[in-house]
Amino acid sequence: MMNKGKALSLMLAATLSVSALTACGGNKNDNGASSPAASGSAAASGSASSGAKDTITALLPPVSPTYQDNFDQMEKDFNAKYPNLTLKIEPASWEDMTQKLDTQVNAGSPPDIAFIGSDGISKYVQQGMALDLTDVATPDMTGDYDAVPLEYMKNGNGLYGFPAYMEVHALGGNKQFLEEAGIDWKKVQKDGWTYDEFREAIKKGVVKSGDKTSRYGFVFATAGVASKDYLGIMAKSAGMPAAFTKDLKYAYTSKNYLELLTDLRQMIDDGSMPKELSSVDAGKRWNMFLTGQTMITGKGLATFENSAKKNNAKIDANDGSAVKDSIKVDYIVLPVPTFAGAAPVSSTVVDGYVAFRGKKEPTAEHKANIAKAAYFLSSGKVAATTNNDLFAAHITKSGREAAASMTIDRSADNVAAVETMLSHAAPARPDIPAELGAKAIKIENEVIVPKMQALLAGEIKPQDMYDAVKKAAIDAFGQDGIVQD
Amino acid sequence: MAQSAQPAKKSKIKGDGVWDYAFIAVALIVYAMFTAYPVLSAFIISFQEYKPLGSTYIGFDNYAATFKDDLFWRSIKNTIVYTVLTVPVALLLSFLVAIMILPLRKKLQTVFKAVYYLPVVASGVALSLVWLWIFDPMPGGIFNQFIGWFGAHNQNWLGSSATAMFSLVIMAWLSSHGASIIIYLAALLGIDDSYYEAADLDGASFLQKLWHIVIPSLKPTTLFLLVTAIIGSFQVFQNAYLMTGGGPDHATTMVGLLIFDNAFKYFEFGKAAAQSLILALIIALVSLFQFKFLGKDVDY
Amino acid sequence: MSLYNNNTGSRAGKTARNTVIVVLLLLFALATLFPIYFMVISSFGDPVEAGAVSYSLWPGKFTLESYSFFFNYSKYSYRWILNSTIVAGAVTITNVFFATMAGYAFSKLRFKGRGVLFSILLAAMMIPYQVTQVPLYILIVNTFHIENTFSALILPGLVTVYNVFLAKQFMSSIPTEIMESAKVEGCSQLQIFFRIIMPLSKTVMAVIAILTFMDSWNTFFWPFLVTNTMDMQTIQVGLKNFRFANTTYFSPMMAGATISAVPMFILFFSLQKYFLEGVTVGAVKG
Repeated sequence: MMNKGKALSLMLAATLSVSALTACGGNKNDNGASSPAASGSAAASGSASSGAKDTITALLPPVSPTYQDNFDQMEKDFNAKYPNLTLKIEPASWEDMTQKLDTQVNAGSPPDIAFIGSDGISKYVQQGMALDLTDVATPDMTGDYDAVPLEYMKNGNGLYGFPAYMEVHALGGNKQFLEEAGIDWKKVQKDGWTYDEFREAIKKGVVKSGDKTSRYGFVFATAGVASKDYLGIMAKSAGMPAAFTKDLKYAYTSKNYLELLTDLRQMIDDGSMPKELSSVDAGKRWNMFLTGQTMITGKGLATFENSAKKNNAKIDANDGSAVKDSIKVDYIVLPVPTFAGAAPVSSTVVDGYVAFRGKKEPTAEHKANIAKAAYFLSSGKVAATTNNDLFAAHITKSGREAAASMTIDRSADNVAAVETMLSHAAPARPDIPAELGAKAIKIENEVIVPKMQALLAGEIKPQDMYDAVKKAAIDAFGQDGIVQD
Repeated sequence: MAQSAQPAKKSKIKGDGVWDYAFIAVALIVYAMFTAYPVLSAFIISFQEYKPLGSTYIGFDNYAATFKDDLFWRSIKNTIVYTVLTVPVALLLSFLVAIMILPLRKKLQTVFKAVYYLPVVASGVALSLVWLWIFDPMPGGIFNQFIGWFGAHNQNWLGSSATAMFSLVIMAWLSSHGASIIIYLAALLGIDDSYYEAADLDGASFLQKLWHIVIPSLKPTTLFLLVTAIIGSFQVFQNAYLMTGGGPDHATTMVGLLIFDNAFKYFEFGKAAAQSLILALIIALVSLFQFKFLGKDVDY
Repeated sequence: MSLYNNNTGSRAGKTARNTVIVVLLLLFALATLFPIYFMVISSFGDPVEAGAVSYSLWPGKFTLESYSFFFNYSKYSYRWILNSTIVAGAVTITNVFFATMAGYAFSKLRFKGRGVLFSILLAAMMIPYQVTQVPLYILIVNTFHIENTFSALILPGLVTVYNVFLAKQFMSSIPTEIMESAKVEGCSQLQIFFRIIMPLSKTVMAVIAILTFMDSWNTFFWPFLVTNTMDMQTIQVGLKNFRFANTTYFSPMMAGATISAVPMFILFFSLQKYFLEGVTVGAVKG
């Protein structure tokens, strides 16, 4: 008898624990933040008025150095503005941002908003998972943005989110090293440089002792999340400002591409770039710059000037918090060289807050709320703080207003350089159909990135990579869909 | 009723009907839901093209695409290379180490057993972090410093295809022996002394005893270890994923990693399911082959 | 033991031979233990961005700041450890309980379909986990919608076939007569199991507990797939995320790795006997 009781109590305990398990989950608050967008609003759809409670989920990477520290404040401010709405922010690192988002998208339950580059929009439109905000974005909202960046967030006829900033991807130089090497960086900032000029310049920046190179002329991050940057940015200044030409032919089969690949390989063979380039990731390229191991680093964002200044201050303070073995650096914005005699086209990037839908179509009300949240994040005070941190230009009227009272300490030369580069920005291409865009992204992931790794490691020749890309392009677009010159 | 005259026949109790099934109920339900169902489901999915808003049936396309896919065959080759380089060496090393531990005092034996098992206890993620730093391609990387003592140039261990696979193999050689060593040791201790005594009478040497007594007695153990190691090695994924990501240019893409990439990077679930079933078939065939040719006189 | 000639030469010869063996074993042990040594030692360095020149085998200073850096990285850093503990603990308890039960049934009880059912279970051990990953993921996420919850982390591992196999192997060594005499005395099946079998199976239950806990603590792939938010991740997933976010913070990464490994080290050293014993159950006959 005693044992039956023991058994019963055991089973009771087991049942209790199982039900406790199903009850306690991660984000399962009563707004169902982790379930598809619709169920959140389904609970709220009882009342027809706009005051119904709703939660908007956002997946955000460290957009600026202090961005993620501000999450709590952002959630509070949003709730203060719209008392019936809750903004739930989930942080991600740059490295696993894509992975996380894709996993959730493909499971049919993505976050309502995610911060990504506008070039990724076509992929999600193709899957039908990007949310068109055209009918819920009020004229007040859309009117706040500068026309050019807003274009980047469009695909076909739909508007899939709001832009946060328009950035120029450039290179960053160490002023002292540049001057030591006799490079007139002021002229370069104004007039740009061709590949040949660039090649010679970086050779001058190399410092060797015997067999060991203690300082390289040029370093560019190519590992991890940065793997697409190198080619992507350089290609724009090589006569291929987008993956497709104006008549929608795939551009990376042009002979310019082959020349670009050859030039990139050449810089490593010259000894101006480390032969372990394929293992340099974003953290390392900045580390090498700060420790004086390279004269020029890439990619260079305007905000790096800020980071360099901060590290200089730490060195001055001598409190041990500066990067180990780092030196004081004056950061100079430098344009990307042009290849194959092409006209300079800056790699302008518009990143922003893109909206998503789950398996179930969200209610009109929830859509409107998503638009409100996306607008909140990309304009006004939030945008002003973020963009200032990033040294990025403000692209909303409200952002400019909010920023008027904030001071930033930026070198005038660098500001002018960025302006120059912005003047030949690559134009937005909402005319590229989502299907083609998605295919181009696939080729980039499956062929270009792996082959680039091998090219940088010196294992294949530029011709091999070019042939592989061409073959994949023909498979995807047919002989007529590619550029042949 | 148990009669003392009965030989040592293990008789089973006639069950109480309900209780028999009750005892295995939970295990069976978990198995059905989380193993059996997914396997069947994998069959179905392998005939579909997955889309988040609703999959479509495409017949054998996934299988056809897989067989035509160069990358798939390459990954099979990579996996075979990895298996051939790691499994026999690992078994041999474990065997040698076990033989060496054998004559030591019990306390010392336990110390060494614990020492070799320790890396198994640490997680793969933690170890991969450490190895990443050991393999750092800059001249300051630990491994590069080590070979620097011998005057060799620093290598891009994980970034160049000549050395990437080799690096993963070294990692395997140095970390996964604990379990096999202990198993071999236990098996060695189980060999009856009378065999040795008989051999000693015949004046057999150490090597002769090794060859004629030890190795044959260890055959079932070796077979077990070989089969499980190969099954495990064919599924290897974690180290490649965390350390090289399958690169450079797919030099270290194993089948397990390819399936993962197809499933969770490119979200082509149908293709991934088809490939995983093909992998299962390959593993089954290889295991069958091993049992047939190596396990002739082993009853397990 | 008698593999080696105990009669050859003097005691000195035997000692010499043993010494050589110990030296060789130590060398190999050093090579195997080096990564762990390096991990622990480096975790005591400064939490600054390194990645510049060289790594040393002995740090200049000893500090625990890298550990604080790791814990300060996310407000969930402690939660990761808690999550791992909860998941591993739950899975261990259920496995010990239900696998032992099933192992006992398959070993001792005679019921229809016993052989067939067991072979089906066994076949599962040969299926590569990749086959079940995708459908399991779809099941948990798309069908049940329980992703990012403890259930998703625990349920698939409630009872593993391997543990049932272990239990069955062990149980076959328990003499059936004990059970038969208990039946004669009028004990029900439940009573037999709880009062007789379980006390006798302490060893295999301990082994199942240890192996299951270790496996669950160290597992990376499944929690990585099914957790979306940082507050639900286990320590292994958290560690990977930390690495990706801080690629040049060398010491904090080593600190993180040590933190994830230390609980298992402690467990191992205190319950060594069971770990080492557990390895052989089922692998070696007799």
